[in-house]
Amino acid sequence: MEREVIANAFHHVTWGVPISIYFWLMGVSAGAHVISGFGWVFGLKKYKQVGLIATLWAIGVLLIVPVLLIFDLGRPERFFHLLTPGYWHGSAPMSWGTILIMLYPTMMIVYGYFIFKNNAKWAFIFGICGIISAGSTHWYTGVVIQLNPARDINHTALASVLFLLGAFISGTGFLIVTFWFMNIFVNPMRRFRDRFRQEGFAYRFLKANSIGDKVEDSLVVEMGQIMAIGVGIELLMTFNEFLQMNYGTAEEQASLFDVLLGVARVPYMAHVFIALVIPFFILIFTPLKRSPGVVTICSAMVCTGILGMRVWWVLGGQFLQTFF
Amino acid sequence: MTEDNKNHGKSHGRDYGIQTTSGLGVEGRKRYAMVIDLRKCTGCGSCVVACKSEHDVPLGVWRMWLKTEDKGTYPDVKRTFLPRLCNHCEYPICVRNCPTQATFKHEDGFVLQRFNRCIGCRTCVIACPYNARHLLPNHRTDEKQPVGVVDKCDYCIHRVKRGLVPTCVSTCVGGAFTFGDLNDPKSEVSKLVKKNSVMTLKPEIGTHPQTYYIGLDEGIADQVASYRHRSAQMKEEYNTFKKNHEGFHGDLTEGGSHIVVQVVRNFLGFLKEIPAKAGRVLGLGG
Ligand code: SF4
Ligand code: SF4
Repeated sequence: MEREVIANAFHHVTWGVPISIYFWLMGVSAGAHVISGFGWVFGLKKYKQVGLIATLWAIGVLLIVPVLLIFDLGRPERFFHLLTPGYWHGSAPMSWGTILIMLYPTMMIVYGYFIFKNNAKWAFIFGICGIISAGSTHWYTGVVIQLNPARDINHTALASVLFLLGAFISGTGFLIVTFWFMNIFVNPMRRFRDRFRQEGFAYRFLKANSIGDKVEDSLVVEMGQIMAIGVGIELLMTFNEFLQMNYGTAEEQASLFDVLLGVARVPYMAHVFIALVIPFFILIFTPLKRSPGVVTICSAMVCTGILGMRVWWVLGGQFLQTFF
Repeated sequence: MTEDNKNHGKSHGRDYGIQTTSGLGVEGRKRYAMVIDLRKCTGCGSCVVACKSEHDVPLGVWRMWLKTEDKGTYPDVKRTFLPRLCNHCEYPICVRNCPTQATFKHEDGFVLQRFNRCIGCRTCVIACPYNARHLLPNHRTDEKQPVGVVDKCDYCIHRVKRGLVPTCVSTCVGGAFTFGDLNDPKSEVSKLVKKNSVMTLKPEIGTHPQTYYIGLDEGIADQVASYRHRSAQMKEEYNTFKKNHEGFHGDLTEGGSHIVVQVVRNFLGFLKEIPAKAGRVLGLGG
């Protein structure tokens, strides 16, 4: 039978791009922090030289997060309500998240301090705490949108795991791109570093961050391989989600065909092809995987594609319902 | 029915949010509910207008609205209407997910909003399966009205507490709306729910809505059908509305402009709001 909705209220896509970017930045930060932990927590010597800069990036990226979160609120001047006893609401995922978002940078700062001081024991302890809090904070970003039965795209138990993996690969990719920049400017940076006295704070700080030292090509290639494994698992899970929606309820099918392959197909395709399929193919199956330049390009693709995922995840998840 | 509802509630075994306890079928407690007999609805829209004026609802957002669908092929065409409002769910996801307890379940069944607590995070808007919530814009003609917080239908609690029915109920020319206490077997709502086959929207979500419909048409109640069978005019209006609406710069539109453009527009809109909001954070007004 023919039917046509001729009048309805127009509902908004209420969480917009700032929230998508917040999810993305949080992931980049958490991923970078995990890479930092490779050296100081898991004892992989090669990664020690980039431990501090990875953590500093993780903290730096995180500094943008409060701006996004607070100014996205309708009443930003009331953000402290999230932590006010008597207001705090234990059943709301956002309440746990608020605590995690505060805990995570604190852990990282302490951890960064011990790396700088070259204190392996405490760097190890706070590194573990940091990795756990980085993981939980990013797990929560998946959960906060997953626990909404009304949003067919987001309401999947895979959500938080997809978010965690996305974090890991985009964080790794982000670091690889950073190393590429550092290597381009290695000579001017060394000249800059060598202007300072060797026993002074500035010199030691720059040195500890590998500023003026070339990041080894072998490290970049190895990180590319680690990233590729993450990309592979994420690809499998995204395919699983695709299958689930394809064989799913009417809402799930409409989410797939009308939203993900319809109105939000650009970010969805960016995620699937730019972040996953192409880098995975290059980094696993071709000899190009040994070229630091190619690894860097793949990393940039992964980073951008994961931003696409955050966009379709947040916006696309709300779209179908705006007409109900 | 009261007993049935009680058992239904129990079989769910769900209590969402720390403030929410179900009072359905609990003796001595009230459980306000609404029954809308769609067979009597003429689609005149009085309820929507009454609600708009009762609560000074800004343009572009709705506490209640009328969804309209045409079905069939000429000359056998039927127009169906569906007045939509908050369902005052027994197990409201909006309450469970609100991080500041700004929204809560009143002991008499109303799901209410505390403007002074709300931070405008819109978690509840995302959580509500029925689109019953909206963010109030930053600029209101009447400056005393709340801004930047979420609002929704409150079953006109200010009237109910004075012994009146909600304004949509009293305005309905067809007599389609009935409001009352479901825990009272003698109330009109109890009788209606008992005598008729009633439906709620999206029962599968498990929210146990307390706004019941008699004669609900499957098509108009279906999310996917609503999405797929929008009139061309509605698509057009939607795009125009989204592009022009203040406060939500660059919502997704269809076919209007490329999604990448919309994403950029949305983010720029957010950046543009920061100075005014920063002023508010620093206590400078704005
Ligand atoms: S209809 Fe939506 S806003 Fe109303 S109580 Fe249910 S979940 Fe909450
Ligand atoms: S917008 Fe207000 S009512 Fe809604 S979840 Fe956030 S604080 Fe709670």
